Amino acid sequence: MNKTININLSGIIYHLDEGAYENFNAYINAIKDRLSHEEGGAEIIADIESRIAEIFSMRLSEGKRQVVTQEDVDFIISTLGRPEDFADTAEETDPPQTETKRRFFRNPDETVIGGVCSGIAAYFNIDVVWIRVLFLVLLFFTGIGFITYIILWAAIPEAKTTAQKLQMRGEPVNLGNIEKKFKEFEAQGKAFGKKFKNTPRGFFDFITNTIGAILGFILKFFGVVLAIIGSVIAFTLIVALIGVFGSTWNLGGFDFIDINGYIYGMDGAQALFGSGWRLMALRVGTLLTLLMPLFALVVFLAKLFGKSVSNARLLSFAGIASFIIGLILIFISAGSLATDFKERATEVEKLPIPGNSLVLEADILEESTGFLFDIDDDQLRVENVRFNIERTNDSTAHLELRHSASGRNHAEARQRAQRFDFKTEQSGETLRLSEYFSVPEDALYRGQDLKVTLRLPVGTTVFLDPSLENIIYDLENVQNLWDGDMLGHTWIMTDRGLDCADCPIIEYYSAEDLEENIEQKLEELELELKRLKDR
Amino acid sequence: MKIENTKAQMRKGVLEYCILGILSNGDAYASDIIEHLKKAELIVVEGTLYPLLTRLKNAGLLEYRWEESTSGPPRKYYSLSTEGKAFQKELKSTWDALQKAVEHITTSK
Repeated sequence: MNKTININLSGIIYHLDEGAYENFNAYINAIKDRLSHEEGGAEIIADIESRIAEIFSMRLSEGKRQVVTQEDVDFIISTLGRPEDFADTAEETDPPQTETKRRFFRNPDETVIGGVCSGIAAYFNIDVVWIRVLFLVLLFFTGIGFITYIILWAAIPEAKTTAQKLQMRGEPVNLGNIEKKFKEFEAQGKAFGKKFKNTPRGFFDFITNTIGAILGFILKFFGVVLAIIGSVIAFTLIVALIGVFGSTWNLGGFDFIDINGYIYGMDGAQALFGSGWRLMALRVGTLLTLLMPLFALVVFLAKLFGKSVSNARLLSFAGIASFIIGLILIFISAGSLATDFKERATEVEKLPIPGNSLVLEADILEESTGFLFDIDDDQLRVENVRFNIERTNDSTAHLELRHSASGRNHAEARQRAQRFDFKTEQSGETLRLSEYFSVPEDALYRGQDLKVTLRLPVGTTVFLDPSLENIIYDLENVQNLWDGDMLGHTWIMTDRGLDCADCPIIEYYSAEDLEENIEQKLEELELELKRLKDR
Repeated sequence: MKIENTKAQMRKGVLEYCILGILSNGDAYASDIIEHLKKAELIVVEGTLYPLLTRLKNAGLLEYRWEESTSGPPRKYYSLSTEGKAFQKELKSTWDALQKAVEHITTSK
């Protein structure tokens, strides 16, 4: 089944088959180009079109046909003449050298995969080898080459007709050139025939054939490598897709694929996006954006193994469309999420801590995933606790909890800041703190953090257990030790701040101090010498 | 110097005169004119003629009328205007003189 294209000539509709149309169109455009700058050009063109219509009508009714074919177009060209013949004979001028616009086409005559590289080479009029090397370099060092190639492959049409092949190389589309191309093509065909018929005779032939074989092998090798890379990407994408809709697939009591959402950050996504339309938009958006590379891969792999996909164009169009829609959905979802972080509020809670000698410990969270927040038993576990010790003028110690959260507006942020759960436990002298705090799952993660400050009156002693290492944050102390170095020691609150009660006394000298010391010593020695001399 | 070019130049020189000559024998539409010229081997392809006809018409030497056709779109029938007839006569005398002169020169020894 061939496609036909309808054209209107002098008010009569003709059906042209696709190939005939391409050539006819090139022909009539070449004539129009030539005549349009002439006086009365439009009228001449109308006369010519009318004549063409007459010939078409005549030939169609003679042959009892409906569709104008290439033969009819050839007849038109031979009867009316080449575009050059249309110049007014009385005023012979050189044909205007109009710059023919180059167009991007894939080159079906020189292909490794889809003819993208040779099309680009033809467009820029450079050797195709450079473009191929560039793509390979891009492929192996960044992977961008692959995506770029796929996109170009889908977006650039193939140069099917001779006219398009001429446009691809920026050669003017006229009959002379078309004829030239035909001859070249025929010559190529003959050369090919020879190559296969002849066995290598001379030494030179042998060398070229060998090189050809090696090159062929290398290209095939690259093809296989590409196929492997493509399959890996495809597999990853599919797994990621399942991850997006991550859940346990339980088939007949057997855990088919057990993917915990948080492996792919889905718990995190849910904690951020909630379970409403925003999460749906994110999921669907992610799915849609992943469809394009999947489609592309399907087509690519099929082509690599020599199978043509009948709906490749449709697939690539659908892929691009879904990619764009997917991106829009993701942006809408993320944009809406961002407004939820607009205002910030803090809620303060105070817990009295009796006793003037304390031992501080922390519950080490064993199942920490290393994420800032996680969904754990319908609670959102936030591992964002910062512990500090400060002096108070009150007579007793207390623990101050400052919980901050963001929200769409101040009221919402305040409400959210009120909802948190931080576990502390005091038994005798020992005060156990938690490494995390919980908020209800429906509060969602909105940048919650918790500052825990132990305020001690002067004279209170406190032992810092090494288990505090994950939450201790920038403690001021007299010795000016790093947080980590403070653990495992007993500290006492003084007027000057926390003072270490059992740290080994280390005298620190700076270079300046040392210099000063030496100078001082020298001065003393000199005085001593003077004194001895005076005696 | 190519012989083909010279031949083409010679043919082109007399083409206008020939068209006027054909039309002086009666009205004709483009294809008729082409048919005559082709028979006389004055033109090879039709394309050459359309710009020429339009130019002659725009110069006021030709007139045309539309006539319905049974096969295809309506046809333009050309005829000589009064100016065209005078033009044709003048060309004819020039041509006759020229012909004699050429014959005289090329055959005389």
